[in-house]
Amino acid sequence: MKKNRIAASALALSLCLALAACSGGGAESPAPESTAPAGTTPVETTPAETASAESDLAYVRDKGTLVVGITEFEPMDYQDADGNWIGFDADMAKAFGESLGVDVEFQIIDWDNKIFELEGKTIDVVWNGMTLTDEVLSAMECSNAYCNNAQVVVVPADQADQYQDIDSLSGLTFAVESGSAGQQQAEENGFTYNEVLDQATALLEVSSGTSDAAIIDSLMAGAMVGEGTSYDNLTYTVTLNEEEGEQYGVGFRKGSDLCAALNEFFASSYADGTMMTIAETYGVQAAIIPQ
Amino acid sequence: MFLTVIGALNEGFLQTLRLFAVTLLGAIPLGLVISFGSMSRFTPLRWLSRTVVWIIRGTPLMLQLLVIFYVPGMVLESGSPWPGGESGRFLASAIAFIINYACYFSEIYRGGIQGVPTGQQEAGLVLGMTKSQIFFRVTLLQMIKRIVPPMANEIITLVKDTSIARIISLQEVIWAGYAFMKGSHGYSGLWWPLLFTGLYYLVFNGGLTLFFAWVERKLDYFK
Repeated sequence: MKKNRIAASALALSLCLALAACSGGGAESPAPESTAPAGTTPVETTPAETASAESDLAYVRDKGTLVVGITEFEPMDYQDADGNWIGFDADMAKAFGESLGVDVEFQIIDWDNKIFELEGKTIDVVWNGMTLTDEVLSAMECSNAYCNNAQVVVVPADQADQYQDIDSLSGLTFAVESGSAGQQQAEENGFTYNEVLDQATALLEVSSGTSDAAIIDSLMAGAMVGEGTSYDNLTYTVTLNEEEGEQYGVGFRKGSDLCAALNEFFASSYADGTMMTIAETYGVQAAIIPQ
Repeated sequence: MFLTVIGALNEGFLQTLRLFAVTLLGAIPLGLVISFGSMSRFTPLRWLSRTVVWIIRGTPLMLQLLVIFYVPGMVLESGSPWPGGESGRFLASAIAFIINYACYFSEIYRGGIQGVPTGQQEAGLVLGMTKSQIFFRVTLLQMIKRIVPPMANEIITLVKDTSIARIISLQEVIWAGYAFMKGSHGYSGLWWPLLFTGLYYLVFNGGLTLFFAWVERKLDYFK
């Protein structure tokens, strides 16, 4: 038993080192790259980086499919009654695939593994209402921001009148998605919080009373909380990061040239009105950022 | 609503059962090969298979799944070798589970084989039987009888362990249960489907328990 445990920890350690070595080789010096997201000028890039940067668009065209990593997230990516993927992000992804001349395939992923999925080439892009946090920006090649979002506080509807400003929230225990923008807000405001699996679990915590409140995306709160939803006993009150706000972006493999292609596509589809038409279909037109 | 949930959970449980069946089909024979390796008189082979067993039993299956599924795509120039969509995830899960369970099975087999008294092998040799005749006609059936209870234990654990494959997004029954909490088939925020999946495991393992009790009775004529 004891022997086994020592062995396991030794092996886990060596695996960690191996993984670290792999990721280190793939994305050398991520900091300068993230400060200059244009990144197409080949100044002083190592041969390995140039090769991967050149090949990604060609790689996707070669295999003929763009694999889009998503989680089920209304109103961005979700299934209609016939099982087709719809939503603002899903429709935009299909249009982008068409512009590249490739098929689009949607793959549900575990959100915690999104960087694994990208680097392991089991998906080509993360396109799922992803908030552009520092972590995301340093680990992925991110597109221009396309949609505004904010973090809102969800509380039981019958207590909502007690929690209308930030000061009233200080005594509460919050549920936040582990690694989310909501967790970042809880930290910045010095709240007591529990990390949970995802935003839906955070809502469940409030509904069952195991946490007093949750911090989730405003777009998601709009779709999942309040009258006519499964959480009609909950409501959202305070917006935590109103001034600075936050934006959604699309993430590619570090150094990928698909990112520049998507930025061009965003600009042209905003210019000809397609982007706004799709946004109006899903009721997110007010949040769209001009391209 | 109930019918929609049951439909989705059934689909998830079918994936669970598929992984369970494929793992058993692969791991039962592979375990025998590994156990022969661990008992081999050829020292390098014995060390190789004992090292493999040490590594596989000594690390979490969850880590093995992550390594098998994601690392090839990070290392290989040509990208991920796994087929796209659910089938690639299933294939990777199946391989990881087969290797993992084969290592556990191999140790159970080794115990079963070495538990048969050596006097019987010596008697076989005296009677002029070959090594393989001794294994198949004398040792094998006695070994099977001995390993039924520990194998039943592992196999019932396997049914529940299949849920670990959700780490690489294999959409088995636990995944299907969670999906209703996040939003699936037009419902979101439902917590009971996840707890309800417990019933699937319970019923299936109940069937397995009865099956193994029957097998033990059938093998009772030994001894």
